[in-house]
Amino acid sequence: MRTKSISKHKDEKISRRDFLGSAAAAAAAFTIVPRHVLGGPGNNPPSEKLNIAGIGVGGRGANVLEGVESQNIVALCDVDWHNAAGTFRRYPEAIKYRDFREMLDKEDKNIDAVTIATPDHVHAVASIAAIKRGKHVYCEKPLTHSVYEARKLAEAAREHKVATQMGNQGQASEETRIMCEYIWDGAIGPVRQVHVWTDRPSNGLFNVFWPQGVDRPKETPPVPETLGWDLWLGPAPYRPYHPAYLPFKWRGWWDFGTGALGDMGCHRLDPVFRALKLGHPISVEAASTLVNKETYPVASIVHYNFPARQDMPPVTVTWYDGGLKPPRPDEMNEGEQMGTNGVLFIGDKGKMLEHRLIPESRRQKYGKPPQVLPRSPGHFVEWIEACKGGKPAGSNFDWAGSLAEVVLLGNVALRVELREMLTRTKLLWDGPNMKITNIPEANEFLRCKYREGWNL
Amino acid sequence: MKYTNKLTKQKDGKISRRDFIGGAAAAVAAFTVVPRHVLGGPGNTPPSEKLNIAGIGVGGMGQNNVRACESENIVALCDVDDNYAAKVYEKYPNARKWKDFRKMLDEQKDIDAVIVATPDHSHAVVAISAMQRGKHVYVQKPLTRTVWEARMLTEAARKYKVATQMGNQGHSGEGTRLVCEWIWDGAIGNVREVHCWTNRPVWPQGIGRPEDTPQVPSTLDWNLWIGPAPERPYNPAYHPFNWRAWLDFGAGALGDMGCHVMDAPFWALKLKYPVSVEASHSYDVREMWKRVDNKETYPRASVVHYQFPAREGIPPVKLHWYDGGILPEQPVGLEPGRHITDLGSDGSGTLFIGDKGILVCGCYGGSPRLIPETKMAEYKRPPKTLPRIDTGRDGHELDWIRACKDGRPACSNFDYSGPLTETVVMGNLAMLNPGKKLDWDGKNMRITNDDKANEYVRPDYREGWSLEI
Repeated sequence: MRTKSISKHKDEKISRRDFLGSAAAAAAAFTIVPRHVLGGPGNNPPSEKLNIAGIGVGGRGANVLEGVESQNIVALCDVDWHNAAGTFRRYPEAIKYRDFREMLDKEDKNIDAVTIATPDHVHAVASIAAIKRGKHVYCEKPLTHSVYEARKLAEAAREHKVATQMGNQGQASEETRIMCEYIWDGAIGPVRQVHVWTDRPSNGLFNVFWPQGVDRPKETPPVPETLGWDLWLGPAPYRPYHPAYLPFKWRGWWDFGTGALGDMGCHRLDPVFRALKLGHPISVEAASTLVNKETYPVASIVHYNFPARQDMPPVTVTWYDGGLKPPRPDEMNEGEQMGTNGVLFIGDKGKMLEHRLIPESRRQKYGKPPQVLPRSPGHFVEWIEACKGGKPAGSNFDWAGSLAEVVLLGNVALRVELREMLTRTKLLWDGPNMKITNIPEANEFLRCKYREGWNL
Repeated sequence: MKYTNKLTKQKDGKISRRDFIGGAAAAVAAFTVVPRHVLGGPGNTPPSEKLNIAGIGVGGMGQNNVRACESENIVALCDVDDNYAAKVYEKYPNARKWKDFRKMLDEQKDIDAVIVATPDHSHAVVAISAMQRGKHVYVQKPLTRTVWEARMLTEAARKYKVATQMGNQGHSGEGTRLVCEWIWDGAIGNVREVHCWTNRPVWPQGIGRPEDTPQVPSTLDWNLWIGPAPERPYNPAYHPFNWRAWLDFGAGALGDMGCHVMDAPFWALKLKYPVSVEASHSYDVREMWKRVDNKETYPRASVVHYQFPAREGIPPVKLHWYDGGILPEQPVGLEPGRHITDLGSDGSGTLFIGDKGILVCGCYGGSPRLIPETKMAEYKRPPKTLPRIDTGRDGHELDWIRACKDGRPACSNFDYSGPLTETVVMGNLAMLNPGKKLDWDGKNMRITNDDKANEYVRPDYREGWSLEI
């Protein structure tokens, strides 16, 4: 639940969103307050709706806004007005900005919450700026660009008591719940091995791809008129504009994206974390195709070792991307494909592929596990309700921060600097202290160097 | 055992010089010791006792093999590219130079033995032509590019009773022998899991066929280079060296290094044919939004899983292959600061996971260690029961020369290296059909659960080329 210091507002007036906040607090305290008490009889009055601003609205951001457009979309911010044109048209009344800092300054009183779907390297600075102003935040996955940022964001969200949600919508799904319930019911016994794979950086469904394992382009084409290149770079080190970075392809570049693991890890590892109650790993190691200092590799495998937790034994979680996959389990049906993305739990007493026990005969015999988890009203609704004083969303930053940290730690293990210049070894991880204990030099890769004028 | 040459094959009906050596070797074997001077006169080894060796494909690795045979007479050198071979040609001014191995074998009658170090796609046709003429053959690894060709070579070697050796020099090394002796000694108990890795390909893979058609260099006979492979225009993307990447010419990272890296497990665990194989590999995507189903080159990275059945009282074993930079997980018990890539060698190595311990060795079976080091220190090494090769893997060619002369098979003769190659390159069948577990009938060289996947078991040769024993 959220309380907000009114003194933060320069004009000392109680802003509309403070009112929402305290109303929500009241609602929570009294358990049930009829909605008409706040907004009058009948339908939700507009005053009860959140005022939402979108930051980074051209790509995935457009879908995020559609997910929350039951609320008021009051402001839109994008560094590329060409790429954002469609979204601008969809919300003609929203005020348009290029610089999220300017938007947060000017629209401070008008905004309750923000959605952030910029490239990864801007997630943290945009999120923190919003959180510090007491705005609720929905931020795309991976939560941040670096381990350090993920830790800081989770702390900031706690401190400022805002409602948060990371954009790993799968967490709200029925399938995630079934996976947990099978495991907790002991359907496959204690789990010591999990394999998780994605076909990214290529995408089997849409054949989406961004180039990885490539060098920095040398040409310096002119910046399109519609693009604020310096703003796009944000906290990242300066480099000349090139269409190799945007739209979308930034995912493959160390300075901007988080590779296949960052893109898909927060989706695919989320149910594993929930079902197996994972927290900090004790070690991580990675192997991949050629890496360089510019781009992520074409394909990689990352092994995470987790210690015993509660009643669960230690487990190794292995990540595969770029087309690599674990060996096909014999329990799969003849002719059945492994899928472009997948999760395979290997327990002492059985196996589960995604949310299905395998073989099929076993699934049929077992029946459904007892339903112990509450179902979700939907990923976006969770967040909207949380903003209005409801319970924290399923992938709030306490959860999402620690999940993203582990995902991003895998990228640290992939750093070419560690793999070529230092002794190649497993990185031993002291999670609570956010420290790689066996290779001090590796710790510098836990955070990104920001450009002058940017900080968290 | 002795080699008998088919005298009937000699058109002129004369007993050739190498038949004499063969016969002399047989005599040596029969009488156990015959002073060398009986054959060649007093004093030094007479030239007549030396083998007359021809090198085919000598610009690349072949020159090393030829150099290792310098104790013999290098009488002929053959390469389709005068420029690529120029240095070797200069080094052996007395050797006759040829461009077409067929012409050389037809016309130069004094050849006893042949080194074959062409690109993989020509190994089989060259080696069989030589064997048919009774020549001993040393063939670079992989013995062949495809399963069927390896089988043909194995059978041909038996039929023509020539001395054979595949160029997996680690097989002559001390390390490979230690691995065998330790595992047979029970040092790590029963082995059910093996991991083999290499950092290859270090040449471009996961690429498309070049569209430009530069002029063929004047020094290169492109038609001969193509040999039995399907015709395509010349491009430097294929020659020299980078042919390994291309399905039509090479066998990829697996083919290049598998015959080295999988050699120690093959020998030590008495492996033969796997019962199944499956693979996954990196996708080939050359432009945004487009993933390519690449049947031109092997992938940039792959993982291949072989399953071998129980044999000779040894339990079934799973062998996992990793290339392109992908590695197995670090084994439990490996000390902090150590890494399997430091324990391997030449970017490659093998981990044996036994019921009672773990053994790691390098690319060529070299420097085996038990993990952890405390176990190594405690280990009481068994007696060295396997015969050693003088100078180890540097003596691999000499082991073959010895075999050519005394008739006792070289250590990686085709009876051994043929099945090894079959097993290595059949992994490429899985790579071409990723995500499917292919059941393998090794004896009949057939994938039993996917007819279509069999198309790569045997290559289609270009018109005018064939492989008959």
